[in-house]
Amino acid sequence: MTETLVLDPAQQSSTATKPLLKVEGLSVEFGPKASPIRVVNQVSFEVNPGGSVGIVGESGSGKSITSLAVMGLIPSPPGRIVEGRVEFEGVNLLEMQKSRLPDIRGRDIAMIFQEPMSSLNPVMTIGDQIGEAIKLHEKMSREQRRERIIELLKLVGIPNPEGRLGAYPHQFSGGMRQRVMIAMAVACNPKLLIADEPTTALDVTIQAQVLELMHKIRRTLNTAVLLISHDLGVIADVCERVIVMYAGRVVEDADVKSIFRNPSHPYTRGLLQSIPRLKDERSRLYQIPGSVPLAGTIKMGCPFFARCPDRIGKCAEEMPPMFTVSRSQRSACWVTAGAASEANGGATA
Amino acid sequence: MSTVIQPSALSPDIDQTIAPEPGFRATLMHMIFGRKSTVFAMIVMLIFIVVAVLAPWISPYDPLAQSFLSINKPPSAAHWLGTDQFGRDVLSRMIHGSRNSLLFGLISPALAAIFGTALGVTAGYFGGAVDRIISRLIDLLLAFPELLLAIMIAAVLGGAFWNIIAVITVAFIPGFARVARASTLAVKQEPYVEAAVAVGLRTPTIIVRHIIPNIAAPIVVLMTLWVASAIRLEASLSFLGIGTRAPNPSWGNIIRDGLNNLFGSPWPIIAAGFAITCVVLSFNLFGDAVRDVLDPETAE
Repeated sequence: MTETLVLDPAQQSSTATKPLLKVEGLSVEFGPKASPIRVVNQVSFEVNPGGSVGIVGESGSGKSITSLAVMGLIPSPPGRIVEGRVEFEGVNLLEMQKSRLPDIRGRDIAMIFQEPMSSLNPVMTIGDQIGEAIKLHEKMSREQRRERIIELLKLVGIPNPEGRLGAYPHQFSGGMRQRVMIAMAVACNPKLLIADEPTTALDVTIQAQVLELMHKIRRTLNTAVLLISHDLGVIADVCERVIVMYAGRVVEDADVKSIFRNPSHPYTRGLLQSIPRLKDERSRLYQIPGSVPLAGTIKMGCPFFARCPDRIGKCAEEMPPMFTVSRSQRSACWVTAGAASEANGGATA
Repeated sequence: MSTVIQPSALSPDIDQTIAPEPGFRATLMHMIFGRKSTVFAMIVMLIFIVVAVLAPWISPYDPLAQSFLSINKPPSAAHWLGTDQFGRDVLSRMIHGSRNSLLFGLISPALAAIFGTALGVTAGYFGGAVDRIISRLIDLLLAFPELLLAIMIAAVLGGAFWNIIAVITVAFIPGFARVARASTLAVKQEPYVEAAVAVGLRTPTIIVRHIIPNIAAPIVVLMTLWVASAIRLEASLSFLGIGTRAPNPSWGNIIRDGLNNLFGSPWPIIAAGFAITCVVLSFNLFGDAVRDVLDPETAE
């Protein structure tokens, strides 16, 4: 793997070969068992200790469901995980006793949600809400806890933290609430922070501040980050590795440089072309023709077939495996990746 | 409120800092004493409660003593609120009756709120089979009119004090359960509940700390509204001979007795009606204040 940015050398030596989070062949279905709709299909990826991985894709590509599955938060019914493994530090979370999951949530894996406006309980002070996680997972006296909460609020850049402990969420702006959410999430120094579209609901300047804060968290706490976003710019800013999802499948998995310099999958290329650039001569932005297929409508072949500019006959019949394009880039496309892979010598399933 | 605003130069956000919170107790005090209607309501409630507690010592006559020499008298210096058709002093009957009426009027809605909320939250939060079973039970209770249900249970259990409390409580549970269930369904969808799960809280903590405080407002208002219904229901039961037995007074059966003698003397009905109105109104006003305390957005 290309992830060498592990800050703590001790941790690196012990877990360098072992990923912190390893998702393997994860499939999630919704709806009745007789006619299930598969929204996440055979998704695999890894997050190294201290690493940062981004999952990018359009609405409905299954990226949020993937992150919820890692936390064990898929609403069931109607959803269920039908196959795969979610290994955290070598332990398969899916086989773990349900009653033990709360011990891991918040302490080892924490999550930031998309809507800062409604992710905080309106009738609890923010001090109490941050304190809740600490009280749950760490033995601290009331005074120590108060100190810790103030420290966290300082870390996320809330001015006058002592005075704001007793404030309620409605007294904060969206960006400030997202900071409070981040403080809550990192309260117990989690090893993995899952951020599901953390900046989507914020305006652009606040977005940049929140992303800067996530960098700071990574630097100071050495927390691994799994960032879900539909915004390639956000991903480029924070992540070392990128996973591109389309219609519930991983279509490309590469380090961030390869994705931007040398995208392999036609879908990734389409995504990149549709980003507006400053020196753009085009009068119209590129758009990928068509729209994302409804979940569960693709029964065979590549899910991107109908919209793909490079399609060949084989694509309609057989789902391409993940071809190795280069040392740090894998892509699921018969045409572009298949050719590159043959040139390199052999495919990887 | 005296507040100190400390704008921070280091603040990366545009600093819209609001003053440090004055703390829960200060907010509570402000809520209670900051509004005249709330103060008024609390004074009225306090007067009625003191009167009920001190009834044997402050009532001028024996509430049961009859006197054929003074039947259907209008208010006078001797009988402040007049007398009824048996010559009993209306003021003394009102004072003694307040004990029964207030006890029924307060305990039953409170108990119904506790059990009803527990049932409703359980049904709403867990959903599925649990929800179906509880909801059908509630529907079953709702199918009977409150009074019919109360008579049925009272007939089985007998008319002792705690039985009547139980009867009124059971009759009120469905209303609370429905409101609690509907509110829980709405609150359960909120991202902060999901966030609480993600932090590692377990289900009982989530229900107690995140669900119930957010559905408390409608429950509290409902509770204060039903103080009136409870007093009325007790009156109906008394009239039917199940609640407070004549000749013992409660506001309910003072009205019932007075109806038969409306043209002889209207004073029992006027006095009891006024007392019930005052109590109900002051509880409603108090309920509004409590609701506002529970909602931090209005607690400014």
